Amino acid sequence: MLGSLETGAPVRRATFPTWCRAAVIRLDNVSKTYKNGGVVALSNIDLDIAKGEFVFLVGASGSGKSTFIKLLIKDEDPDAGEIWVGGKRLSRLKSWRVPTLRRDLGCVFQDFKLLPNKTVFENVAFALEVIGRPRSSIERTVPEVLELVGLGHKHEAYPHELSGGEQQRVSIARAFVNRPRILLCDEPTGNLDPTTSVGIMKLLDRINRTGTTVVMATHDQHIVDSMRRRVVELEAGTLVRDQTRGVYGYGS
Amino acid sequence: MGARLRYLLSEVFVGLRRNLLMTVATIVTVTVSLALLGAGLLVQQQVNLARDLFYAEVEVSIWLDDGISEAQRVSLEDDLRDNPEVSDLIFVSKDDAYEEAQELFEGQDEVLASIEPDFLPASFRVSLHDPERYLVVESQYAGFPGVADISDQREVLDRFFTVMDAFRNGAVAVAVLQLVAAAALISNTIRMTAFARREQIGIMKLVGATNWYVRLPFVLEGMLAGVIGALLASGLLFVGMQTLIGRLREQIVFIPFIGTAEVLTVTPILIAIGAGLAAIASFVSLRRFLSV
Repeated sequence: MLGSLETGAPVRRATFPTWCRAAVIRLDNVSKTYKNGGVVALSNIDLDIAKGEFVFLVGASGSGKSTFIKLLIKDEDPDAGEIWVGGKRLSRLKSWRVPTLRRDLGCVFQDFKLLPNKTVFENVAFALEVIGRPRSSIERTVPEVLELVGLGHKHEAYPHELSGGEQQRVSIARAFVNRPRILLCDEPTGNLDPTTSVGIMKLLDRINRTGTTVVMATHDQHIVDSMRRRVVELEAGTLVRDQTRGVYGYGS
Repeated sequence: MGARLRYLLSEVFVGLRRNLLMTVATIVTVTVSLALLGAGLLVQQQVNLARDLFYAEVEVSIWLDDGISEAQRVSLEDDLRDNPEVSDLIFVSKDDAYEEAQELFEGQDEVLASIEPDFLPASFRVSLHDPERYLVVESQYAGFPGVADISDQREVLDRFFTVMDAFRNGAVAVAVLQLVAAAALISNTIRMTAFARREQIGIMKLVGATNWYVRLPFVLEGMLAGVIGALLASGLLFVGMQTLIGRLREQIVFIPFIGTAEVLTVTPILIAIGAGLAAIASFVSLRRFLSV
């Protein structure tokens, strides 16, 4: 298989029957080169992700995983190709409509991105406040989602009073509180120890079972191997592997 | 909506308090620039007021030769009275002119000492139906026997108004420069606030807050500084107007002066400029933070 890649033969595509389920994310021949330095981040990516899928995005640092996620939230625009997310064609999405796209996407990052001067409750509520949800709805929804992530007893704690795993749970709660159709995670376990990571993965799995599509960029070989979900591998911006029930690398 | 308003107000005041020094500097600059601009506008109004009055009453003086004969003088007077352009006519003899000068320069002994009783020529002061037709009248009487010179008060007034116009232009030019400085300060203050809150802005963008929602507290913060500056500037103008015009009004009775009404008409203009400029400066300085 590696040999066929070197000769430029087509990459083996997923056997997942995407034709019978609506693609919630679709990339059509997408390329992205950064202006400064001319680094090719992604080249000619074709990919369909169906509703409710759990997809691992693997590859070395600099292989284009983060760029992939930035393109999906329209933080960056591709140089070529088309991207559809949740039925929206991103190249046709006016910049003032980008917030409607982001309300349909939850984002989780390696560094949690919590506001230090707000409590757990306020951090999660903030995501609803800024999109104009009424107070009554916020008061109802936030405790629910905090219960879901296992922090029902820590509403009033501040981020610095929490462990890394708990902080990541808050960040997941914030990403999920608006019930987005898609959850994008960029190295969510990158700062966590293996045991804590397992807890986070169980949470993401539970969220996935509610029908939420989860795309997770990761370095964590152990997690990918143990979950046995779809694996998409990038190498220097090129899609080199797409397996339905994959493992982290060929050697493992 | 209550939560949203509370959020907005707390953001605005936290922002203002955090950069107290910058906020004060900004407000002072806005105040000074708008006060100068307002002064320019008030001078303009004062000039217009005086100009209308003076030009309506402007007179042409026909200065007579000292050697003019009585027959020549009578003939000139008859001709002027028959002229359809002329509405009114006064003869000012040399004695009358001397008396007038005595009154005009009362108390200024040095000036008075330099004026001999015989120094000022006799003249006809001619009011015209249409002061704009001064040149026609001048050409009619320039070669008349016994006429030394013809002058129009407008020449004197024009010189006075040129000075006033220059003062106004200077004030407005300095005001515009100051306004640019004020805009830069506002922009810088807002940028500092936004930088301090860049994490928060990033998260807001990420969870789908609209650009306007992110921008509004900053723009309001800038506008608040602009409005406060405009109100302070109006206050300065009012106090300045009261002191200066109050004194002038006592000394110069023949000119109508602007008053509180004019300051009140200038105030909304200053508020609009202050708020508008601050809004634009804040808006522009946020662009970089919004492209998260």
